[in-house]
Amino acid sequence: MKNRFVILQPWIGLVVRLTLGGVLFLAGYLKVGTPDKSQMAVRAYEMLPISVANLLGLILPPVEIVIGVLLILGALTRVMAALGGFTMFIFIIAIAQAWARGLNIDCGCFGGGGAVEPGQTKYLQEILRDIGLVFLAAYLIRYPSTKFSLDKNQNRKSSQEEVA
Amino acid sequence: MAQAKNPKGGKDNFTRNLVIAVVLGVVLIMLVPTLLSKKSNTNAATPSIVSVEDGYGMVFNKELKDVPFIEIYEDFQCPACQRFEGIVGEYIEDLINTKKAKVAYHPLSFLGPESQLAANAAGCAADEGQFIQFHKLLYANQPNENSGAWTSSYFTTLSLGLGITSKEYEKCVNKNEYKDWVVNVANEGAKRNINSTPTVFINGKEIDRDKAYNSLGEFMLAVSKA
Repeated sequence: MKNRFVILQPWIGLVVRLTLGGVLFLAGYLKVGTPDKSQMAVRAYEMLPISVANLLGLILPPVEIVIGVLLILGALTRVMAALGGFTMFIFIIAIAQAWARGLNIDCGCFGGGGAVEPGQTKYLQEILRDIGLVFLAAYLIRYPSTKFSLDKNQNRKSSQEEVA
Repeated sequence: MAQAKNPKGGKDNFTRNLVIAVVLGVVLIMLVPTLLSKKSNTNAATPSIVSVEDGYGMVFNKELKDVPFIEIYEDFQCPACQRFEGIVGEYIEDLINTKKAKVAYHPLSFLGPESQLAANAAGCAADEGQFIQFHKLLYANQPNENSGAWTSSYFTTLSLGLGITSKEYEKCVNKNEYKDWVVNVANEGAKRNINSTPTVFINGKEIDRDKAYNSLGEFMLAVSKA
């Protein structure tokens, strides 16, 4: 059983890496062309001062793209997984506080965002999805060596660790 | 790659350089242009009825005092704005014509490039004294969001129906002359925390989101109370 995991682990890692990276890349890509909307989505959480929210709305999509691309390439996998997981963790807090305060917003995760009609919110699905992504990130932090990754050195080192 | 294959397991320069390249690339290709395009320009050309101190809105009956001040934030591509126009559009037009309210229109463009073009064209139409009519016409001809239907030539053709034939108007639309003004309107809206469209204020207070956006009666009540 242990042996089979040693063989499968880099392949599972590949799927996990591409999923987390793909989701982050897509999320950033769908927002980067509509900065006004992205700013609006961040403001709608009513967590940050307006000027900070507006700045974050501009910066967040490119950051997601960078983390996504590097995860897809498998460069600095562990660091990027940690950053991606941290981002998701913050999103969970943001969505949960919006839910708890009874705001009616769309998470704006993949574009969209801002106020929605009461009853149109999808907080539970959004939080469950982000929790799933946090677990993927956690997997990559624990097992950063994956197939077809650019992290050659790390690969060799960590697979030696695994074997030992 | 050469470094990566270093059997002594030296620093992985390839990965490091790639990370730097991706970060720099995204910053230069995406972040910098976005930040530049979102920069307010205080020297922006604006339609003549724009009032800078009213958040770059197009203001009707600016000279009136002691009347309700209605501020409308809208995006010409937004279906809820179209609905709102259908419900209260004529009433507001009436208030303007009978000088019973001061009204500011803020055309936002958060839904994308076609909203931007429409906002610019609306500013051009305002210079022809036809903003209200053009406004109505835009909503009557609202296509699906960013479907490619709204182009400069679409707007110049559309406004022929209003009898706008001037060369200045055509140039204004084709050259996107009020582009910077549209950015300013968006930035002022962002500063004012406008998180959905339409958003309507009467004397600085947002109208009741559950009622006044969907009912002419409730809206009239809100205006009369102001």
